[in-house]
Amino acid sequence: MSIEKRMLARELKLIAARPGDIFKPMWFLMLVISMVPLALAPDSDLLAEIGSAMIWVATLLALLLNTEHLFQSDFSDGVLEQWLFLDRPLAWLVGLKLIAHWLFHVLPLILITPIAGLMLSVPTEVLFALLATLFVATPALTCFSGLGAALTLGSSRSGILGVLVMMPLFVPVVILAAGVLIRATDGSDTLPLMALLGAFSVVAATLVPIAVSAAIRLNIGGSN
Amino acid sequence: MLEFQFESIAAFVEMTPHGVYVWPIYGLGLLVIGGLTWLNARQHRQAIRMVQRNLEREESHES
Amino acid sequence: MGWRWFHQWGSPRWFYERAGRWQLVCGWLALILLVAGSIWGLGFAPVDYQQGNSYRIIYLHVPVAFLAQAMYAAMALCAVVLFVWKMKLADVAMQSIAVMGFAFTVLSLVSGAVWGKPTWGTYWVWDARLTSMLILAFLYLGAIGLRAAIQDPDQAGKACGILVLVGVVNLPIIKYSVEWWNTLHQPASLKLTEKPAMPASMWVPLLVNILGYYIAAAYLVLGSMRAIVLERERRATWVKELIGRA
Repeated sequence: MSIEKRMLARELKLIAARPGDIFKPMWFLMLVISMVPLALAPDSDLLAEIGSAMIWVATLLALLLNTEHLFQSDFSDGVLEQWLFLDRPLAWLVGLKLIAHWLFHVLPLILITPIAGLMLSVPTEVLFALLATLFVATPALTCFSGLGAALTLGSSRSGILGVLVMMPLFVPVVILAAGVLIRATDGSDTLPLMALLGAFSVVAATLVPIAVSAAIRLNIGGSN
Repeated sequence: MLEFQFESIAAFVEMTPHGVYVWPIYGLGLLVIGGLTWLNARQHRQAIRMVQRNLEREESHES
Repeated sequence: MGWRWFHQWGSPRWFYERAGRWQLVCGWLALILLVAGSIWGLGFAPVDYQQGNSYRIIYLHVPVAFLAQAMYAAMALCAVVLFVWKMKLADVAMQSIAVMGFAFTVLSLVSGAVWGKPTWGTYWVWDARLTSMLILAFLYLGAIGLRAAIQDPDQAGKACGILVLVGVVNLPIIKYSVEWWNTLHQPASLKLTEKPAMPASMWVPLLVNILGYYIAAAYLVLGSMRAIVLERERRATWVKELIGRA
């Protein structure tokens, strides 16, 4: 079995051992969404107008919540150190880890957003645009928050520092996604913006793992 | 070219009607630069004192 | 000859001794320029026919806003020097610039907000420039916070370097996306109308102040770097000699 397959199998085993890790962010997302009408008003026109943006922000927060400790357990039980001795580039392994994280932790989150959309009476065509933007944008968000998690590995009292440090870098993604949602509401063409968003994700997914691997090397080098 | 734009010092301070906006900003600028200067000097003094304490401790060990 | 001018920056002692003199020169020069430029701008530059006297905030706001952005770029340059030449002084510079840059960013935000009150009628509008300045402030805070959270100074410096390099690549993207976002949501009515080019009597004092604030920033960064060098090198023989003699 190749290293890649074994890594994915290990991730699956870890999830099977602790399925709660997948459900907690989904739980968080649904709770935040239920708070919105309570804090605002149960007026469905108003909710429909701001609903898609609220869902976007809530999903972003839920994603940050579950990416915060992405490398922590692998760091403390020495798996990251083993990665250095494999005959694969570290950035490639980091990329695999990020892909696995996206598949098993972020994808479920995206898949429940339509339910949130129905609860906030978001129109169907906007709902499709919302799903599309989340699919295209979350790889970039996952990479950046993974970098935040890797940078704060060496700190015992980092708290949510990794999130705070990376949040400003999400600005272009959020703006582009919001642009798509606005155009979907107007009924105008969303394709150019989706293409830009996709380009951002592709570039982030190629370059950020290199930065993440540098951050990991730094923390392993520093601990000896 | 260089001509004082206000009729009196009072008018200069007043800057009708914008003195309340302009002057506090310049005060804040002074405060920031002055405060950072003070902080740097304090950090420098503390570093020197730390080295001096270390030196005294070493001397008392030797004797 | 050739690279000596560069390699001597690797010696903390050389830097500490020289920087004391540079700091003095920069401090006095900045004081003269800033006093002259500010008095000129506040009292002698002509009144703006559209904004009245409130425009005089420009003589602080614009230099500080320039600096806030330039200092992030300078920090990124230091990160490159740190990773390519492993020069520890570059890390010290990064640490100093992060704090000073944050201070200047906050100053430019506050002065922009106060300028907004008479111009736009409100302290805060989600104007493109104010918004990207706000994001810049968060980026600076990230660099400061990350360093504070990691105990080992070498490790903290390198982690900050990675963060700053990723940040500087993203900064133009953030800037352009915020500008685009602003045209998407807001009517142009809140924007300042395009003004004709400033007359020399207005921009000459501005130039004096821009120069003054840049030199003041150099003065502050040098001062903070000297203190940090002394702190980090406290066990080195040259520090003990220098302070023992004094």
